[in-house]
Amino acid sequence: MGKIVLAMLVSVQMFAGIQALETHCLACHQKQNIPSNLIYKRYLMKYSTDKAVENAMFKYLKDPTKRLSIMPPQFFLKFPMRDASVLDDGTLRENIKAYLKHFDIKKKLIVEQ
Amino acid sequence: MLSSEKRSLVRFLVIYLLSTLLLFSLASWIFYTSSKHHLLDKQYEVLKYEAENLKSTLRDLHQSDASTLVYPRHAQIQSAIYDVEKQYIFGTLNAGHNFGHEEVDKLSYRTKIEPYYLGAGYLLLTKAIDETSIAMLQKEIWLFMLAAGVFFSLLGYFLGRLFVSPMREALENMNHFIQDTTHELNTPISTILTNIEMIETFGKHQENTAELKRIEIASKTLSRIYDDLTYLNLNHDYHRHIVEVDMSALVRERIVYFTAMAEAKGLEVQVDVVENVVLKVDKNDALRLVDNLLSNAIKYNKTQGLLAVVLTQDSLSVRDTGIGIKSKDLQQISQRFKRANSAEGGFGIGLHIVSQVCENYGYVLDIESVENKGTEVSVRWVK
Repeated sequence: MGKIVLAMLVSVQMFAGIQALETHCLACHQKQNIPSNLIYKRYLMKYSTDKAVENAMFKYLKDPTKRLSIMPPQFFLKFPMRDASVLDDGTLRENIKAYLKHFDIKKKLIVEQ
Repeated sequence: MLSSEKRSLVRFLVIYLLSTLLLFSLASWIFYTSSKHHLLDKQYEVLKYEAENLKSTLRDLHQSDASTLVYPRHAQIQSAIYDVEKQYIFGTLNAGHNFGHEEVDKLSYRTKIEPYYLGAGYLLLTKAIDETSIAMLQKEIWLFMLAAGVFFSLLGYFLGRLFVSPMREALENMNHFIQDTTHELNTPISTILTNIEMIETFGKHQENTAELKRIEIASKTLSRIYDDLTYLNLNHDYHRHIVEVDMSALVRERIVYFTAMAEAKGLEVQVDVVENVVLKVDKNDALRLVDNLLSNAIKYNKTQGLLAVVLTQDSLSVRDTGIGIKSKDLQQISQRFKRANSAEGGFGIGLHIVSQVCENYGYVLDIESVENKGTEVSVRWVK
């Protein structure tokens, strides 16, 4: 019974996380055709660990500049530089974690049979 | 084989084989280590090659938008990717496999990945060591050691026999010398004792000329044996007193000395001695030279044979009609303990003394002999 309750709580939490990500990030990304998956891969290719990626994203979202962006300068010819996030630090980090989880490339990996 | 010879041979073989074994073991160990490294390097190269392939695959996977990314599997090689903090990401190695963990029977290859495709900072590949080639190498080395062992044992035995052969010869010569000495001394001593006994038994009633003659010959023989042995023994430390020696007088005197022995054998003695032949020589050397030439000519002569002594201003030659010397033995006849015929008495030192005297003074010794006809020994002092 306890396990069922715990599983339900986790599921609710995850669903809430995805909902928040959709609201705060992806909705706008999709609207402007910003390639979220590509951005994730560029971060991953540069920083390797989730923690390092999270910190880099957090830094950029708090102070969005070309210098802190993972994307090349040409990217901003097509897409506008976003405004600094108004979310509080905790919420912003939760959203970044949800973002990383959503696009996590490692969960797609399977071993050749 | 004599026991001392066997002992020497065994000692030589033990030292030789042990040192050879030590040397070969060391060489084999160095060879084995080097070859094993070479074999492992070859296997290591396979890992390196596969690592490059895997890096290329990781790049493709990173760029792929497919819903599943297939990580390649290799039949003999296990691999895994790790982030920059060396935390396990994914791979065919067990999940959580420690990046720095080493297994004794496996080869590992670690390499960095840059940029971090799939977030991977490091790549680890491991492979079980192929023991077949190493076992083959060990087998080859053992076979080589075995073959070398057999070869060097045989070589050592052959060399050992070669090394101890002079010792064997020397021991055999010594044994013969002791036997001959015993025999040579026994004859005159027995003669002296027998004739003294005869004089004691019959001496009061008849003349004892014959017995006394035999005692004289036997005593002279003993005296000569003693002189020869002393000469040989002291030859190296002997201080020579060089004086002018009248060889004509000396040769005549020694012929008289040996007359009794020659008569006992019924020899006809022909003497042709030129007067006033003078040599600058140590008198004892001259005496041993003449005595041994005469003694040999009498000893190895036939009964009723001929003894011819010729002394000129240039040389002294002594000829007999005795047993002669085989042509194959002529080269070694002047060596110590060498005898023309072992059936006759003597030590085989007579001609050795003659040749030593000749060598000391630069005289030329010439021996001409025909088997069963006779021998002529000449010593020339004027070249």
